[in-house]
Amino acid sequence: MEVTFKDVSLSYDGSREILHRLNFTIPEGTLVSILGPSGCGKSTTLMMISGLLAPTSGHIFFGDEDVTKQDALQRKVGMVFQNYALYPHLKVLDNIMFPLKMAKVPKAERREKAIKLAKLVHVDDQLDKKPGSLSGGQQQRVAIARALAKEPSLLLLDEPLSNLDARLRIEMRQEIRRIQQETGVTTIFVTHDQDEALHISDHIMVLNSGKIQQFSSAETLYDNPSNLFIAQFIGEPVINTIDIEDFDDELTDHVDAEILKRAKKVGIRPEALQDHDTGADTLATITTKVKTFEKFGREKNALLDFHGKRLLTTEIEAELAEGQELPLYLQKSGFYLFDQEGTRIFGGDQDVE
Amino acid sequence: MKRKTAIILRYVILVLGAIIMLMPFLWMLSTSLKTQPETVKIPPIWIPKHLMFSNYVNALKEAPFLRYFINSVFVTTVTTAGQLLTSILAAFAFSRLNFYGKNILFVIFLGTMMVPGEMLIIPNFVTLSQLHLVNTYGALIIPWLASFFTVFTLRQTFQSVPDQIYYAAKIDGASDWHYLWHVLVPISKSTITAVTVLQVIGSWNAFMWPLIVTNTENLRTLPVGLQAFTSDAGTNYALLMAASTFVIIPMVILYVFLQKYIIAGISKTGLKG
Ligand SMILES: Nc1ncnc2c1ncn2[C@@H]1O[C@H](COP(=O)(O)OP(=O)(O)OP(=O)(O)O)[C@@H](O)[C@H]1O
Ligand SMILES: [Mg+2]
Repeated sequence: MEVTFKDVSLSYDGSREILHRLNFTIPEGTLVSILGPSGCGKSTTLMMISGLLAPTSGHIFFGDEDVTKQDALQRKVGMVFQNYALYPHLKVLDNIMFPLKMAKVPKAERREKAIKLAKLVHVDDQLDKKPGSLSGGQQQRVAIARALAKEPSLLLLDEPLSNLDARLRIEMRQEIRRIQQETGVTTIFVTHDQDEALHISDHIMVLNSGKIQQFSSAETLYDNPSNLFIAQFIGEPVINTIDIEDFDDELTDHVDAEILKRAKKVGIRPEALQDHDTGADTLATITTKVKTFEKFGREKNALLDFHGKRLLTTEIEAELAEGQELPLYLQKSGFYLFDQEGTRIFGGDQDVE
Repeated sequence: MKRKTAIILRYVILVLGAIIMLMPFLWMLSTSLKTQPETVKIPPIWIPKHLMFSNYVNALKEAPFLRYFINSVFVTTVTTAGQLLTSILAAFAFSRLNFYGKNILFVIFLGTMMVPGEMLIIPNFVTLSQLHLVNTYGALIIPWLASFFTVFTLRQTFQSVPDQIYYAAKIDGASDWHYLWHVLVPISKSTITAVTVLQVIGSWNAFMWPLIVTNTENLRTLPVGLQAFTSDAGTNYALLMAASTFVIIPMVILYVFLQKYIIAGISKTGLKG
């Protein structure tokens, strides 16, 4: 089901606004991640989609239908809560069957379906236990099975993998992706783990302090961050950020003077600092001093001093000695300028929002 | 070594406490097996010369105890069930629903808990007599169909259930009504058992109120019926104690079976028995 927010704002207490005028459309059948730091309003957004929380202002649409006034019972979405919210008095099997019981599905059918779902999320050996005696990861999987039980046309997942170990996490995220693609259920997946978001989703919505920072594909987020927050939030290792004043005249002939005047911050991805000339891909050159140089297997990292600021590069080919001077070639891709407000004004593809 | 002494000391204190608590019950059992002169003998004796089991038979012949027993069971069951129903619904409203004047209403009800029960006897009696309910089962039952103490206790428990569970139930298609009966009540099982048992014991033992609002044999409950052994000529303690033993047996059985829940319920809600 397509989900649309039109100027949706929310305040819990009537004075402090948590979400400010959100506008977005999640296309039918896609998997969209909502990514953002803790407390930015991810869970709150999900609660409004599910109907558990009414927006303070604005409208929510499912397809063409305005569902703003409908409650959770009427909206019929599936949801996995951040803290699982399993029913403590019911066994695992009964937890998974609960939505089916509410939907008055016959008992035998309920059971059969619940067992199938339990197998899908690998908790079929725990059916007779109460949630209290399961590990966090098992509880989380039971919650996923319960959310899928009523075959919702919209599935909301609030950090559903946060308590799994690394291996199970990767396995489960592939599993979620597989289930999503098989059933075609529109899925909204909340996470604060960018790696998870990058791997699982068709599109990523990055939220910060109650505003949508950017809503696009993973590559676009990385290649064309719309602002400084996105540039710093997406990418591992983190982008180098320095002030425009830290440059003397290295950029003068390479960037439009008018843009240089407006620029405030410079973002340089670690892989955009090459130690050799790349010809047409090179934007400018700078001279740096090696502070530290590390080698782990094939990976070579160097921490450099540039006019008193630190820069990290991952693209060193030669062995370096600490304290040595090193000329670096700034690559066009991975070099950005941001203005006073943090908006990107140079670098990447200027046409992309 | 020090730990061991502490453990021994703890058990000594517990055993002493248990003995003190059990003393009246043992005295009741002992008296119920004595002859009439033995019951008033000084110094008191604990073990009668002949165990007079016939006291039990005679006690039951003295008054229509079967009728009293049926009355007690009926009144206790209806009162407890009714009170639980009204309290669960009210506690749900106070803990989960939003309605105009909720907090003020709650404070007013809380205030009624400060009023001693004895003060309510006369107004309640007057109300019932104007409703022509005096000397009916209605008089024994209706005033006890609501108890704010129970509402309050349940509300505290209901409120300790996380919001997320409520939301999950909503998402799963449960209405408020379904949530209450399929989720909230089963989760709060131990508190509900505790208040139920307290109410059953209270109803079963009630003496003052049934004595005041009934005056026919047919409506008497067990505690009131025990009066049969007290007359102007004095009290037949042996028969009274034999009959009392019958009266408390159901409560003892109830306690033995539900002990686990009662203790859990009471310690969790911090309410005093
Ligand atoms: N019930 C509530 N009443 C008042 N404020 C709330 C409530 N729930 C959340 N908030 C506030 O709203 C903001 C957003 O909270 P939300 O739970 O949506 O964040 P989140 O992005 O899901 O964070 P996390 O990653 O930690 O789960 C926070 O500042 C939080 O303090
Ligand atoms: Mg959250």
